[in-house]
Amino acid sequence: MKNIALYSLPIRYMLIYVILILVSGLWLFLLSQGLECSESIISTLKNVIASPAEKSVEGLIEVATPHLFAIGTLIFVTAHFMLFSTKFSQKLSLIVAMFLFMFALFDIFAYFAMTFGLVVSGWIKLVALSGFVLLFLFMLGLVGISL
Amino acid sequence: MKFLVTKDLAHSTLLSYLMGSVVFAILLYLGFDMVLHAYVIGLDMQSASVTLFGDVENFVEPVLIDSLLLQVHIDLFMTLFALLILSSIFIRLYSDKVMTKWIIHLLFSLGMLAPIALLFAYFVSASLTAIWLVSFVLWHILASIVAVIILKKLLFK
Repeated sequence: MKNIALYSLPIRYMLIYVILILVSGLWLFLLSQGLECSESIISTLKNVIASPAEKSVEGLIEVATPHLFAIGTLIFVTAHFMLFSTKFSQKLSLIVAMFLFMFALFDIFAYFAMTFGLVVSGWIKLVALSGFVLLFLFMLGLVGISL
Repeated sequence: MKFLVTKDLAHSTLLSYLMGSVVFAILLYLGFDMVLHAYVIGLDMQSASVTLFGDVENFVEPVLIDSLLLQVHIDLFMTLFALLILSSIFIRLYSDKVMTKWIIHLLFSLGMLAPIALLFAYFVSASLTAIWLVSFVLWHILASIVAVIILKKLLFK
């Protein structure tokens, strides 16, 4: 196969696109928690922990459904590039990808725990969201270094 | 992408037809995406400005930041997947052409610039709406041309 280096171009752009998608997703989450009315991001985060915005089950399913497909596909596409990596072992890639899938599910369903009254504080959503984003950035880093 | 680069195209009619079909679907998507954005945001300066900033005389409220950001979030995801599939097939068929590299750069850059310019237009300056309009239309036209070139090669090889 000729000119295989050309394939690294779309992958490089994919890394930037995914970061933009993560940033816009975080921004959307903070807006849904009253970022516009708060003084700063820190105070919005404190609000999430103390009194997270109330959401209906219908609203949560409306958000969860497209994210289950989109995040699952995005992790698969990003992680499958690690098959070509010569710098990192397949075992490391597998561990990171599986943890990423677990954190994605944890993140998507964390708000259900609050809505059904299993947890009062919103810390669970923050832990899930930050864990997922940091792990995804780590995976993007692995792909970026492998190029 | 791995599936598109591993099999030898010359000996696989199935892969050839699959690639042609997905490119045709993306070509339709590009057309419908233009129509959708014409309805949701507007594809001329006047209607895009009314959507973003409202119209006091006609009592039109500006778009909420939540709605605009959600549109940008979805656009980034859809653009990424459409361009990843299109570019990987294009590279496979036209890897020996010098222009291929620059077309890929142009496609992904314009596709990324469009949603970012839309947000900047909302927050910084109304004049940036023109950048959104140009980059959005350009990447759709360029992607459509790439799709047609791919189909031409697959159908009339």
